[in-house]
Amino acid sequence: MAGKPPASAIGLGRGSGQPTPLPEARRPGVTTTLARRQSRTAWLMVAPLVLYLAALTLYPFGYMLVMSLFRYDLASWEPPSFLGLGNYQAAFADRTAAVSWRFTAVLAAAAVSIELLLGFLLAVLILDARGERWIRSALLVPMAVPPVVAGVAWKMLFNYQYGPVNWVLSLFGVSRVSWLGDPFWAGVGIIVADVWQWTPFVFLVLYAGLQSVPDELIEAARVDGASTGQLLWQVRLPLLRPLLWVVLILRLIDVVKLFDIIYMVTFGGPGSATHSISYYIYKVGLSYGWDVGYASALSLLLLAVVSLLVNLLIRGLRLRELLGF
Amino acid sequence: MDRVWTALRYAAIALALVFFLFPAYWIAITAFKVSAEWFTWPPIVFPTRLTLGNFLGTEGGFSGSLATAIGGIVPYLRNSAVVALGTAASSTLLGSLAAYALSRFKVGGMSLASWIISVRMLPPIAAALPVYAIFLKLQLLNTVWAVMMAHLIFTAPFATWILLSFFNEIPRELDEAAWVDGASPWTVFLRVVLPLSAPGLAAVASLSFIQSWGEFLMALVLTSSSDAQTLPLFLGRYITGWRIAWGPLAGAGLVTMVPVVAFSLVMQRYLIRGLTFGAVKY
Repeated sequence: MAGKPPASAIGLGRGSGQPTPLPEARRPGVTTTLARRQSRTAWLMVAPLVLYLAALTLYPFGYMLVMSLFRYDLASWEPPSFLGLGNYQAAFADRTAAVSWRFTAVLAAAAVSIELLLGFLLAVLILDARGERWIRSALLVPMAVPPVVAGVAWKMLFNYQYGPVNWVLSLFGVSRVSWLGDPFWAGVGIIVADVWQWTPFVFLVLYAGLQSVPDELIEAARVDGASTGQLLWQVRLPLLRPLLWVVLILRLIDVVKLFDIIYMVTFGGPGSATHSISYYIYKVGLSYGWDVGYASALSLLLLAVVSLLVNLLIRGLRLRELLGF
Repeated sequence: MDRVWTALRYAAIALALVFFLFPAYWIAITAFKVSAEWFTWPPIVFPTRLTLGNFLGTEGGFSGSLATAIGGIVPYLRNSAVVALGTAASSTLLGSLAAYALSRFKVGGMSLASWIISVRMLPPIAAALPVYAIFLKLQLLNTVWAVMMAHLIFTAPFATWILLSFFNEIPRELDEAAWVDGASPWTVFLRVVLPLSAPGLAAVASLSFIQSWGEFLMALVLTSSSDAQTLPLFLGRYITGWRIAWGPLAGAGLVTMVPVVAFSLVMQRYLIRGLTFGAVKY
């Protein structure tokens, strides 16, 4: 999904970690030509993807690196001129950029922590509940709904005059909230929409994790007289920790990319209150403005943040073991 | 005491289900509401008068709105289908080849594998501008090819990632036995490994399809007309500065949502494996 989607988790309790030697390691001499042929074939197999990705990611990376050093605004009809680090200086002085980074950070902190908490709670609630298959299917729905449609739905739900959200609140005597017109509530609205769409993902991963806790472990703890609560906190949660870590990083990576929901629900507004950094870059470089140089500098700053997260993720995934290297 | 807890537990589950299903339900019922009921207070949660007008254009709209139905949706539906199917097929193809080479021959070592995976994590906006420039040079802007190729940047690494875990689960002894019998790596891949990982291929193809179907930013940047725009972009037309045509908007949303939701419910067994990344046995 969205994003996305949606991404995914790790190598917990799977036997893929064993290194498997190529045949030549076992039968030296006999299969050397086979090994050479195999290695050539292997490169041939991976080549299409690698060349494709190189063309469409390494070239862009170089392009942005160069452009970020130039004053290059397509809207101004001036030819590009070398600027040095000026675009970066501008990025640090830009108030709207600061607002966008801050909103992205708040979103990440609020949405992701709610998602982790709620996802975990759901997983615990539903574990071994009656009808869990049905509940699981139902919870798959938000993840499958295209983010843009989710945005449309929340835009309707948050409508000031006729929206169901304000209607539900009115049943509790709360007067109408201007969800999309007030900077604070618009931010809350985006958080709610993200929580709606991605808590199910957190739930699924953690639920799968809970189910994979070996029965013998649970039995043993029960025999030792552990209560349900102790079982949860002292047996299940610790085993879930690596999974929680991976889900946390995956969600953080996704949040800095958040674009479609914002585009649909608030259009970044009111003012620039709900600009995510991705939305701001889009505005600067591809819609309201065509400031290629400045947008490139902002993109590279965003890439730096994401690379940091991706490195954490790759470490958290224990990729080396997963791949058997 | 136990009974109280059980009751509370199911009440909480029910509440969660209402929260997670309601927005989709709201799109669905609004799509069938008569125009008089789009804007009412209190909102009508269980409509009794249903209409197909929002789809057919017979419902009419409200004053000042141009968009009264989803009549123009067909080209967008076609573009979405072409792009998503093409993306699903090519990312499964590229991904399975690369994943096999990585799984069995450790091509390029850890660094190549983690580079491929990290491409999946790239923020689309960070690639959008230069990718726009590339397709401008190739004169592919506003074609389904450009959209498809842009989606492939993200779905193919994801496909590789998931298939790696599936391939790693197939015993290597099978490959080795076939090699000893004189089979080439290609034969082993096509005849032994692929058939055995059919569920993985299904998961990867479906996930790529769903991602491509719902993708918005790249399609927004690379296209400008119904020649290549996909469904998510079609939705934007009902939101004008001063009013929203709720009925048709919800109708278009429903058309955009139903195929992927239905698809993912049918494929859920495989999807969950893919999503949780076969990480944990499911």
